[in-house]
Amino acid sequence: MRDLSKPDHLPNLREGGQPPEPSWLPRQRRGITPQMIGRYPDYDVFDTAETWDPATARVIAERMEVRGSFAFFTPDEQPTLRALCDVAVAQDAEPRIPVPELIDEKLAAGRLDGYQYADMPDDRETWRLTLAGLDEVTAERHDGYRFAGLDSRSQEAVVENFSKAQLRSASFDRLNITRTWSVCMRMILAAFYSHPWAWNEIGFGGPAYPRGFMRLGPTSTREPFERPGATDEDPVRTVTEGRA
Amino acid sequence: MIRHLLKGAVGPKDNDSRYLLDVHRRDLPGEATMRAYPDNEEVDLCVVGAGAGGSVLAQRLARRGWKVVILEAGPFWHPDEDWVSDEAGSHQLYWTEKRIIGGNDPVELGKNNSGRGVGGSMVHYAGYCPRFHPSDLQTDTLDGVGADWPISYQQLRPHYERVEAELPVAGQNWPWGYPHTYPFSPHPVSEAASVLWRGAIAQGITMRVGPVGIVNGTFGNRPHCIYRGYCLQGCKVNAKASPYVTHLPDALAHSVEIRANCMAARVELDPSSRRATGVTFIKEGEQIERLQRAKVVAVAGYSIETPRLLLNSATKGFPNGLCNNEDQVGRYVMVQGATQAAGRFPTELRMYKAPPAQVSSEDFYETNPSRGFARGFSIQTVSPEPIGWAEHVLADGHWGRALREYMRDYNHWTTIGVLNELLAEPDNRVTLAEEKDPFGLPVARFDYSLCDNDKANVAFSTEVITDILHAAGAQDVLTIQRFAHLIGGARMGTSPENSVVDAHQRSWAVPNLYLADGSVCPTQGSANPALTIMALSSLLAEHLGSRPATERSRL
Repeated sequence: MRDLSKPDHLPNLREGGQPPEPSWLPRQRRGITPQMIGRYPDYDVFDTAETWDPATARVIAERMEVRGSFAFFTPDEQPTLRALCDVAVAQDAEPRIPVPELIDEKLAAGRLDGYQYADMPDDRETWRLTLAGLDEVTAERHDGYRFAGLDSRSQEAVVENFSKAQLRSASFDRLNITRTWSVCMRMILAAFYSHPWAWNEIGFGGPAYPRGFMRLGPTSTREPFERPGATDEDPVRTVTEGRA
Repeated sequence: MIRHLLKGAVGPKDNDSRYLLDVHRRDLPGEATMRAYPDNEEVDLCVVGAGAGGSVLAQRLARRGWKVVILEAGPFWHPDEDWVSDEAGSHQLYWTEKRIIGGNDPVELGKNNSGRGVGGSMVHYAGYCPRFHPSDLQTDTLDGVGADWPISYQQLRPHYERVEAELPVAGQNWPWGYPHTYPFSPHPVSEAASVLWRGAIAQGITMRVGPVGIVNGTFGNRPHCIYRGYCLQGCKVNAKASPYVTHLPDALAHSVEIRANCMAARVELDPSSRRATGVTFIKEGEQIERLQRAKVVAVAGYSIETPRLLLNSATKGFPNGLCNNEDQVGRYVMVQGATQAAGRFPTELRMYKAPPAQVSSEDFYETNPSRGFARGFSIQTVSPEPIGWAEHVLADGHWGRALREYMRDYNHWTTIGVLNELLAEPDNRVTLAEEKDPFGLPVARFDYSLCDNDKANVAFSTEVITDILHAAGAQDVLTIQRFAHLIGGARMGTSPENSVVDAHQRSWAVPNLYLADGSVCPTQGSANPALTIMALSSLLAEHLGSRPATERSRL
């Protein structure tokens, strides 16, 4: 049993810089979260959906419907994209937030961020070169394999090199790889953390208009509909200890 | 003195925007009945850009009877339908047309610092409204860096006071720079910000609540803030100040026309008199060029688009861009260092509640020779929403499982940031790129590189905020190095050789062409620029408006 007031689950404070296995987290009981893991097992941001203004509710509803079809990435690119997105935010099981589909929708609509590095191509070209590059690197390291065909440990090793700008290949050499990591990761993260399932995982209060937030602290920082964080406790043992 | 005692009970004069707003709808009142000038009518003033600078100028001069048309590249917002309580859904608020960024330290644009649409970037700013310090206007004399402004703080001061009453600005009495008070009382402070404040106190650093342009009392039909925390996504409440609620309602009531979705292509010049005759623009969907004729032209497109418009307006006599025969247009563009450090605490803080802008310090604003660099920085609380928090965690080097772990810990974190005064350098510059926008106009390229003084400032300030977090008892710290804000690019000065405009923001080269935005600032201080941009426009309006109507065609 872990005490949430202590920070010893945080990667920077642990040897190797990696977090504990998610088994310390409680089983999700209420809202959906990616991989059904999270810190707020009894929280569902949709419980307050009727308090959202119509414009916001519509945008969130449209986001929830994005899945399954691709307009920008080719069928050949999709497995590599999916594998990269899974590794980048550790989505190793269902339910998954449809990160590849959300990125595809954004790129197909041309919703770019408003800047392009002078030593980089357009973001859309950067994505195509990145996916090609991941397959080129994989083919060289693991004879004949494509990135999506690797086991997750090998995929993570490639992405670890990507994050440290240590990949070379014909496609990657046409990019500034440090910036490429930033372009791809920021789009992946914007997709993942725009999704209400991710808000359930992290206990974020979600849209708040016209309701607003009242409990700013110090008496409490939790609205009545928000739930406290929890860990994987055995309720029987907790009760027994309480009695003792 | 009376104002000091009565706080917000004394409203601004000569601006009825707060009463014109509708209590039940967020739309800008007056759109349906807005004046529509024909293109071929020579209006008194054509403004390019409906942001902080352009809106104040238009509102002030319309009140003096000027016929004004504002051309705005972006949409005419209807906040009830267009704005959402959601990070990713607010993409449309930013200038997302392509721009090229280069130099040793390229500055990310888009949502970081660039707005589009009626109301400009203030629609999505955090709300901090500090003044510049008097020293900011004399950095060359005092510290041997940057440049002196051709105007004094005392010229600007009455306009600071006037704009502070119009926004209105809420905060504690301000002890730094030129000490002053604010028309509205300080907002309540969230526990997430209080934790940081206690850390600062432990370090002997003074912090004060505010100054933010957010309503917290009776102010016409502007409602009280509801502390939902989505200031950066456009205030659906109408509590946060932007020209959309502070100046444009009054402007429309005085016959200003805002022509939205109209991209200015170039400023037109009469070849013989070298006077501006109007602005050529393209309305989205029309693909034909139209010319709005005007006696006076004011460009208020901010530090990227103002230089771009001048450079795209090259003509006979100005082969390298309008007003650019001395090679000054687009130079000395500045951004502020905006490192943010987040700390982890034992209890849930839920930093997404309340505006990100709460408590700030200007203890380190002025030069202190013992620090080893010129000028300084300010300290401000901030509070990223989930996507912003993910970018913060990524910047500290985490991805995959480690990133997910930090993200799940979101509610235990709180964030403090700095604004470093980075120095004006001639080669930090906006030029034209080879790429073109959908209208066929060359897009801007912005090159930016830090100098040694900048790097020393950023490094020192990062230590200061990290120490605050540790003093507050942070269990872990994550840091992101970034930039914020834009200013400069067509600065004011004492001669055409060192500037683009004179002390009255009039271009040296074209007598009836003015720049009315942050691009004219020769230095930036460590203050968020919005209030100063509005105050400068207010000063310009006073100068232009004091001339009799018959003189307009000779201005």
